[in-house]
Amino acid sequence: MTRKEQIAIGTQFFEQRGWTPFPFQLAAWKAYLQGKSGIVNASTGSGKTYSLIVPIIVEFLAKHHKKKKLPINNGLQAIWITPIKALAKEIKVSAESAAEAMGVTWNIAIRTGDTSSYERTKQKKKPPEILITTPESLHLLLAVPKYEEMFKNLQTIVADEWHELVGSKRGVQVELALSRLKSLLPNLKTWGISATIGNMEEATAVLLGATIQDNNWTIIRSKIKKKIVIKTVMPKDIERFPWSGHLGIHLIAEVLKVVNDSTTTLLFTNTRNQCERWYQTILDHQPDLAGLLAMHHSAIDREQREWVEDALHEAKLKLVVCTSSLDLGVDFRPVETVIQIGSPKGVARFMQRAGRSGHQPGATSVIHFVPTHSLELVEAAALRNAIKQGNIESRIPYIRSFDVLVQYLVTLSVSGGFDAAEIFEEVKKTFCYESISPEEWHWCLSFITTGGKSLDAYDEYNRVGLYKGRYYIANQGMAKRHRMSIGTISSSPTVEVKYRNGSKIGRMEERFIAGLKKGDTFIFSGKVLEVVRMHNMEVRVKASKSKRAITPSWLGGRMPFSSQLSEELRHQMTFIQEKAFNSPELKKLKPLTELQEERSHIPTADEFLIESFKDREGYHLVFYPFDGRHVHEGLSTLLAWRLAQQQKISFSIAVNDYGFELLSDQEIDVDNLITPKIFATKNLWNDMQSSANSVEMAKRKFRDIAAISGLIFRGYPGAFKRDRHLQSSSQLFFDVFQEHEPDNLLIKQAYEEVMQFQLEEVRLRKALDRIIGQKFVIKKLKKATPFAFPIIVDRLREKVSSETLKDRIQKMKLKLIA
Amino acid sequence: MTIQFKEQTLNLHYQKAIYWVERSILFIADLHLGKAAHFRKKGLAAPANISKTNFTNLEMLLDEFAPKRVLFLGDLFHSSLNNIWEKFSKFIAGYPHISFELVEGNHDILPVSAYETAKLVVYPEPFIIAPFILSHYPLEAFPDNLYNFYGHIHPGVLLEGFGGHQSKLACFHFEQTQAVLPAFGAFTGLALVKPKMGDRVFVIAEDEVIEVS
Repeated sequence: MTRKEQIAIGTQFFEQRGWTPFPFQLAAWKAYLQGKSGIVNASTGSGKTYSLIVPIIVEFLAKHHKKKKLPINNGLQAIWITPIKALAKEIKVSAESAAEAMGVTWNIAIRTGDTSSYERTKQKKKPPEILITTPESLHLLLAVPKYEEMFKNLQTIVADEWHELVGSKRGVQVELALSRLKSLLPNLKTWGISATIGNMEEATAVLLGATIQDNNWTIIRSKIKKKIVIKTVMPKDIERFPWSGHLGIHLIAEVLKVVNDSTTTLLFTNTRNQCERWYQTILDHQPDLAGLLAMHHSAIDREQREWVEDALHEAKLKLVVCTSSLDLGVDFRPVETVIQIGSPKGVARFMQRAGRSGHQPGATSVIHFVPTHSLELVEAAALRNAIKQGNIESRIPYIRSFDVLVQYLVTLSVSGGFDAAEIFEEVKKTFCYESISPEEWHWCLSFITTGGKSLDAYDEYNRVGLYKGRYYIANQGMAKRHRMSIGTISSSPTVEVKYRNGSKIGRMEERFIAGLKKGDTFIFSGKVLEVVRMHNMEVRVKASKSKRAITPSWLGGRMPFSSQLSEELRHQMTFIQEKAFNSPELKKLKPLTELQEERSHIPTADEFLIESFKDREGYHLVFYPFDGRHVHEGLSTLLAWRLAQQQKISFSIAVNDYGFELLSDQEIDVDNLITPKIFATKNLWNDMQSSANSVEMAKRKFRDIAAISGLIFRGYPGAFKRDRHLQSSSQLFFDVFQEHEPDNLLIKQAYEEVMQFQLEEVRLRKALDRIIGQKFVIKKLKKATPFAFPIIVDRLREKVSSETLKDRIQKMKLKLIA
Repeated sequence: MTIQFKEQTLNLHYQKAIYWVERSILFIADLHLGKAAHFRKKGLAAPANISKTNFTNLEMLLDEFAPKRVLFLGDLFHSSLNNIWEKFSKFIAGYPHISFELVEGNHDILPVSAYETAKLVVYPEPFIIAPFILSHYPLEAFPDNLYNFYGHIHPGVLLEGFGGHQSKLACFHFEQTQAVLPAFGAFTGLALVKPKMGDRVFVIAEDEVIEVS
C-alpha cells in the first residue's frame, strides 16, 4: 500500500464525518507513517487527538491489508499518556469512533489510579490495542512481573499535553519509562502533543532523549491561531480602589453584569480560598443564581466535580466559579465568556484560560480581567502586549532528579530485577540524566541496597538486594509498599470531609482541619459546615446556618510572575514614566501613578528604585526590580545576607511580584551600603547557600524528594498498626542528613531545586547583571508609597539574620495561649 | 543551667537531660535508641550513624555529672530488637558503678530477657523518689506533695520575634504540678506545647539552656 493510499484512508474517515483534515494533521499522518517520532504543536480542541490516532490505525490497516480478515487481539499497539485523568474518557471516545469508522475491531482501554483491579487483571490477560494512561500508572505497569510480554507489539507512545508534563517530575517519569521501552523495542515511535511554549525545541529533546541524534523526528506546528481580546473590568473610582489585596470583591457589581449578559461563564480565581469566597459573595449579591451557579476546585469531591463538568457540557449552568482545576481538560462548548479574577501571573496560563471561550473556528476568545488591586491594571496592559508579541513562557525541565531515579530503580527491582549496567546505559540516554556520573549512579544503587553510606558490618538495612548479578526487592511486603507509593505528586496530607450520613463533600488539608474543634463552622464547597466529630483521617460535619464561618486557606496557590510577564511589566513602567498612557488601563491608573511620582518616583527601564522609610514596625527598605516573586525571594535573601555581614542585624523579608522589602529594627546606612557592589554576581552560589533562608527553602523542597525517593512512609489504607513505628517527617530526615550525611545526593538535589525552580538562578543572575547597570534612585520618604503598600502588608515573611540564636532568643517572646 | 526547685538543685542540660544534684540522678526521656536502625531494617534509609550520636551525647553527660543513677523516662528503645540494643548493653556495661533504670513507655516493647541481659532495672510507671514522681506519660492524678517529671511529648515551643520571626526549639516545660523533658534521641521530632501564664519554659539554644517568658 502506498503512502498516498494510506493517507487516503484517513481522509476518507474525515470525509465521512464531513470534515477536511487540517494541514498539520496531514503532516502528522505522513511523518508518523514514515516511521518518524516528533511533536505535534497544537492547542486543545483543534483536532490534535486525530493527528495521531488516525495514523496509528492506518499503519495497522496497511500492515494487514492483504489479509481477508483483520486479526483481532493484536496486543498493545499504542500507549497514550495523559496527565489528566479527566481527559482519558474523551480520548477513548475519539479513538473508539475512529477505530470503528475505519473498520478495526480494537479494544481501547483506560488505566489510571481509578481503574478497578478486575479491569486491571483483564487488561493484563488480554491487553487492549490502545491503552490510555497516566505517567504513574505506566510506571506501575513496569512494576508488574513479565511486563516485557505486555509491551512486545507496541508501535508507539504518545505523550499528550506534553507541555504540562515537561516541566514536572511526572515528565521525568515519562522519560524513564521511555528509556526502558525504547531499549526493549528499538523501533518504537515517540510522539508528543504540546500547546505552544517558549522552549518547544528543548521540550522535544526531553521527550526524545538521545534518539534526537538519529534525526528521524520532526516538529509539526498547527497554524491555527486564536484571536484573544482582553477586556479589563475597570473600577469606577481609581482613587478609592484598594492599593493591595487579592480578592477583588469590590468589583462584584461589574462582574455580575458581565455574567448576566452572557449565556455560560467560567470565572477563574487563583486560589481555592478565593474561589470559595467569590462563590459566597455572588450568591449573596444575586440569590436567583442558585441552581445555575456551581463551584469547581481540586479539593471538592470527584463525583461532584464530574457533575459540574457534565452540567457545563449540557449548558445547564450559567456560571462556574473555578480554579486552575478547569484550566486543562475537556472543552466545554457552551462556555461563552471567561472572567479572570486577579493576576494570572503568566502569559500561557492567561491564554489557556481565555481559550476556554469562543470555540467555533475563527471565533475570538474574550477574557474579562478583574484587577484585585490598583497596580494589577498595569498587568492587564502587560499581558495584552505579551500575547501580541507571542512572548510565551518556557517550561523548564527537571534534570538530575535522583529521587525519581531511585524510585524507578526500586520499581524495576519489584517486577523481576534489573541489570545495573544495562539500566545505566538506558538512563544516560534520557535528557534528565544525561550528565549522571558513574559515582552518582553508584550512590543511587547503594542508596537502595545499603541505605547510603554504612560503615557498620552489623547494619540491617533492607530494601533491594543483589542476587546473581541482578537487583531484586528484598521481600513481598516491601514490594507492596513500593507499588502503593509510585508517583511524584506528593500533596500535603488531607482528610476526608463527610456529612454525618457518610456522603462525601471533598478533601481538606489536615493542617487546616487540625486547627478546628467540635462545633466550629467553616466554609467548604460553597456550604457553611459545622464540625460534628473528627476521627482518624475523616471529619464529619453537618450543615450550619451560622453567619460566622472561616474559609480555609490551602497551601500553595502563590504563583510567581513569569519572566515574560516581568519583562512586559518593566516596559509598562517606562510608558508610565514617559507619560505614554497608551492603554485604557494606564489611563485609568494615572491618578495613582501621579501620587507615586509625587511621593517618590517611577523608575524607567534603566533605573532601579529603592525607597526607605521608618514607621512603628521598624526601618523599611523597599526595592523594585519588577522581576517576579521567585527572583525577588532570591534577591532579597542575598541582599539581606550580605548586609548582615556588615553589622549584626536581623531582617524580616516580604516579597511580591513587583519588589521586595527588608524590614529591620535597626537603621541601615543606606547611602554607604546600598550600592551596586552588594548586587555583584560574584560568590552568588556561596552566599545563597550560606544564608539560613535557603536551608529553609531546601527543607521545603525536600518534602517531595523524601516522599518520592521512599524515605518517608506515609502509610496506606489497611496498613498494619505496627507501621506507626515507621512514621517520621521529611524535616527530621533533612536535619539528620544535614548533620550526619551532608554529601547525600538527595540533600544536594533539594538545594539545586531551590536554586533552579525557586530562586531561579538563571533569572537571578540576569536580574543582578541588569541592576548593576541601572541607575540607583534612592528615595528617603516619610511614609509608604502606592507601590510599597502591597509589599509591606504581606504577613508571610522570611528571615535572614547574623545575630546569634542566643541574641535573637533574648529579644523574642514566647507564644502564649490566651 | 542550674535552678532551685522544690528545695532541690536541678541542672537542666542542653544535651536534653536533668541532673538532680542532691541524689546524683540523671533523668533522660525518649532516647528512641535503635529508631534509625529500625527504619533501615524496613527499607527507609535513615543515616546509619545516628546511634553513634546518641551514645556520644550520653557518654558526655555521664562524664560530666558522674551520676549514681540514670533514670530513663520511657521510650528508651524505639521498637523491636535490633543490633543497637546489643551496643547499648555493652555501653552501659562500661559503667558498672552506675545504676541504669527505666520507667516503661509506649515504645518499650522489648522482651524482659533483653532488659535482664543488659542489667537494666525496669519499673512500671509511676515511680516515686520524693519529692518527684516519674513517669513516661503525663500523670493525671497523684499525691499533692509530689511533682511529676515525664517524657513522651518531645516538647518544643515557638518563639516570636520582631517582624513575625519565629523559631521552633526543643524545651523543658515546667507547669504547676508537672514538667516535661525534651526528647534526648537524635532522630526524634518536636511537638509544639502551649505554655500558660505562670509556666516556666527553658529552651535549648545550641549549647545553652535559656529561660524564656
